[in-house]
Amino acid sequence: MLRPGEKIIVFDGGFGSELERLGLSGVPEDLNITHAEDIKKIHRSYSHADIITANSFGLNPIKYGGKFAIDEVARAACENAKAAGKPVFFDVGPTGMMMEPMGQLSFEEAYRAYKTVAEISEGLCDGYILETFSDLYELKAALVALRESTDLPIFATVTFDKSGRTLTGSTPEIAANTVANLGADALGVNCSLGPEELIPVVERLLAVSPVPVIVQPNRGLPVLENGRTVYKLSAEAFYESIKKMVEMGVAVIGGCCGTTPEFIEKISVFSGQNVRKREISRQTVINSSNQICVMDGVKICGERLNPTGKKALKEALINEDFDYIIGEALSQQDAGADLLDVNCGLPQIDEKSLMPKVVRKVQEVTDLPLSLDSSNHEALEAAARIYNGIPLINSVNGEREVMERVFPIAKKYGCVVLGLAMDKGGVPRTAEKRFEIAKRIIRTAEEFGIPKERIMIDTLVVTASAEQELVRETVRALELVRGLGVKTALGVSNVSFGLPNRRLLNRTFLAMALERGLNMPIMNPSDGEMSGTVRAYELLSGIDKNAENFINIFKNYTPAQTASVLGIKREEKSAQSLYDCVRQGLKSRAGELTEEELLTKDPMEVVNGVLIKALDDVGAAYEAGKLFLPQLISSAEAAKAAFAVVAQHLPKDRESKGKVVLATVQGDVHDIGKNIVKVVIESYGWSVVDLGKDVSPEDVVKAVNDHDPFAVGLSALMTTTVPSMEKTISMLKESGCRAKIFVGGAVLNRETADRIGADCYTKDALEMAKKLDELYIGGKS
Amino acid sequence: MNFSELDLLRPQIYNYLGFKGAKPSPETDLLIGSCMADLEKAAQFNYLYKIFETPPEFLNKPPYLDFLKDSRGVIVSVMTLGIGVDRLVSRLSYTDMTRSAVTDCCASAYLEYLSDGFEKGIGENLSYRFCPGYGGSSVNDLKYIFDILRPEKIGVTLSSSFFMLPSKSMAGVIAIGGHAKKSCKDCFMAKSCNYLKEGHKCYDPGRR
Repeated sequence: MLRPGEKIIVFDGGFGSELERLGLSGVPEDLNITHAEDIKKIHRSYSHADIITANSFGLNPIKYGGKFAIDEVARAACENAKAAGKPVFFDVGPTGMMMEPMGQLSFEEAYRAYKTVAEISEGLCDGYILETFSDLYELKAALVALRESTDLPIFATVTFDKSGRTLTGSTPEIAANTVANLGADALGVNCSLGPEELIPVVERLLAVSPVPVIVQPNRGLPVLENGRTVYKLSAEAFYESIKKMVEMGVAVIGGCCGTTPEFIEKISVFSGQNVRKREISRQTVINSSNQICVMDGVKICGERLNPTGKKALKEALINEDFDYIIGEALSQQDAGADLLDVNCGLPQIDEKSLMPKVVRKVQEVTDLPLSLDSSNHEALEAAARIYNGIPLINSVNGEREVMERVFPIAKKYGCVVLGLAMDKGGVPRTAEKRFEIAKRIIRTAEEFGIPKERIMIDTLVVTASAEQELVRETVRALELVRGLGVKTALGVSNVSFGLPNRRLLNRTFLAMALERGLNMPIMNPSDGEMSGTVRAYELLSGIDKNAENFINIFKNYTPAQTASVLGIKREEKSAQSLYDCVRQGLKSRAGELTEEELLTKDPMEVVNGVLIKALDDVGAAYEAGKLFLPQLISSAEAAKAAFAVVAQHLPKDRESKGKVVLATVQGDVHDIGKNIVKVVIESYGWSVVDLGKDVSPEDVVKAVNDHDPFAVGLSALMTTTVPSMEKTISMLKESGCRAKIFVGGAVLNRETADRIGADCYTKDALEMAKKLDELYIGGKS
Repeated sequence: MNFSELDLLRPQIYNYLGFKGAKPSPETDLLIGSCMADLEKAAQFNYLYKIFETPPEFLNKPPYLDFLKDSRGVIVSVMTLGIGVDRLVSRLSYTDMTRSAVTDCCASAYLEYLSDGFEKGIGENLSYRFCPGYGGSSVNDLKYIFDILRPEKIGVTLSSSFFMLPSKSMAGVIAIGGHAKKSCKDCFMAKSCNYLKEGHKCYDPGRR
């Protein structure tokens, strides 16, 4: 009965409204102990339901603010729920904290909270209902923690608003893919809206969910009456909407805010009826929290975040220079990539520690789903764990040991896996042998509980210069593998190594492979000829209906554009000189105009005579109230771009005036002011080590020890975080920090800055840049 | 957002951008228009409120007592633009800091504009929004508002240092009737307030 899918299961209804009706207030979970009989009474009133939900919604160590021991409350909650004589599900709600990167709660902290939930409820209940989640990342932490602790049924519901998205922007399709892959036994929607308003969301969930769908709506939309929020939908109308949803194929029903025992009694007539069978197409799907990538047609996997053969990326990974990595991610996104491959494999790097950092950073700036690319299974696990959504794992091959290491990771974190059609013996020479390995990979995945639609196969590109006759085998294998019903991938540009005119070979091979069934070329999306070939194939093969996408991209095409047909270009008014360019804040022309200046001037002359002069003039106009913040920042950005060009012409030791470590202090996540400071002081020639927001005093001290900066800049917006700033300063001083400590932010003034031991207070970014220069010149003379 | 609505917002946006009454360039106006367009797409305005005839316990102290004097009731509310706006401002900070800063200021003005509109829909004769943390009140009082409203339902969370996330969120206490007026007298920002330094007031940017 508790395993959903065959027969309809009925849950109970609203609890908060029943508490209110009995005049009970305070921490709801504490009432399990202080008012056990009242709580039992409510549970008994829901005895028409098949499953009773324990009064434990806020019972996790982050959210619970009551006065008892959390395990004691859990015991009482389950004991009370058993009074109805029905199976009891432990109610698990969100922590009430915002997850990283927008908030402060890390995946591991959320995981530990839900691990505690698993511990305190062990042996007390018959299953779990995770409900009212609006952030799938938090729900992932809960599902991972509970799934590894119990084999009991786990149902999970998410809330959606009128726009059909969760509060963090996920669609029903994204929710279904994430929650089902992470091992929930039923998934669906609760709370949010009334039953009628939820029908569109339910329809979308039913169309894609591989597991039974659960619905627990509110009693219609709330209305305000004499200053109180009331629900007015009748039990009859509620029943009618639920009936529609049952007919659509919903398997588990119940009620949320405002529903009463009367409502549940009414819908309990569906209990035990057969669930209507649904047809769903089992697709290969990966997603981030806000973007889904269904592997139909052709999907471009951007290959640029792989250090093989890329010196600049290698250096960026070694130095953890995330700005460079972010730049590569965004340029591939702009060029039309559907997902991005992330590879951090370098001998001198601890991949297990770096890969999750890179994945976090990339997910912070783009919604594109990611392919986690590593031969190190520990790095794969670390990255798959903290990934927000369902990633692709790249890769396994036909070797049993490799699959045994990677498939459990894919199972636990719900990933799609790319299998390479090779094994210990290397890449087989014939398509048939690669096909056999593909079958072996699919079979083994199924042994680990990973269905076929979560496997993709790479039939492997060999270099035409070395093994010319094998190129055809690769594309022939695509066709064979496609017959297995799985999607395919190829690292296309490997075909042309060692040959002239590689781009011609690459795009010709790409066209051959697409025609034979390639779904996911792994390639450089910024290569306009390659991307153009994909778009042309989509048109010619009928994927791009009415050629809409192709025409949209190429409508203004002229032959000279081939190199960057898909790139995004912004029109900007032109500046005649570098000085004007910086004054007007035209970032895009700064590099080119700097090169022009450098033809006739010494690099330092460009810096002092042009850049600093322009910045000083902008600064003076800003201070005089003639120019304002937007222009100040634009000018700083233009000067920074110019500086980057000049630096290439300067000796290593003169590239920068020195380093400045910047951080928004622990407890504070407001970092816009710090970000403005960063751009402005960089434009004055300082190298910034940006530690980000909510940075612990220990991390600031460590960065200062590692980088030996000229200055440290700390920012805080809230009065409540000034003590944290004070602690950071005192720890810096204790550690013997020689750098000047600057503070700034809305709540600071000179007086407070002095009181907490800062060396300098500056009111804004420009003042800080000037003060830094003053100290710098003073130090030199 | 249509042009006339955007025009209603402009004075407050200029104010947040530090224009201090000066006239912005046409380029800046274009930039604001384009940032507002992106902002509207990213924003998911949401609110929660409760109306009380007898004020909840935590309001039974200064400075709320003064604020609520002669009122017939009190509204406790939380409003937010949603986490999509934080994400937009944060992402822009990597690619275009100017847009990031301008969008941030637009968002502050937009939240106030939408909140004013929502309050007009509740009723008449309402005071301004009194926000815990301002006017001599403690920001810690936010936790009472969170206990009352549970704004997690609309995606608003309270950190251990008592700031709300999404960062473009506001909590307000509004008197129904009464005579409360804004004043800089007890504001904790008074010492470092940029408006005051220039002789302006945050709640009335144009007036000295």
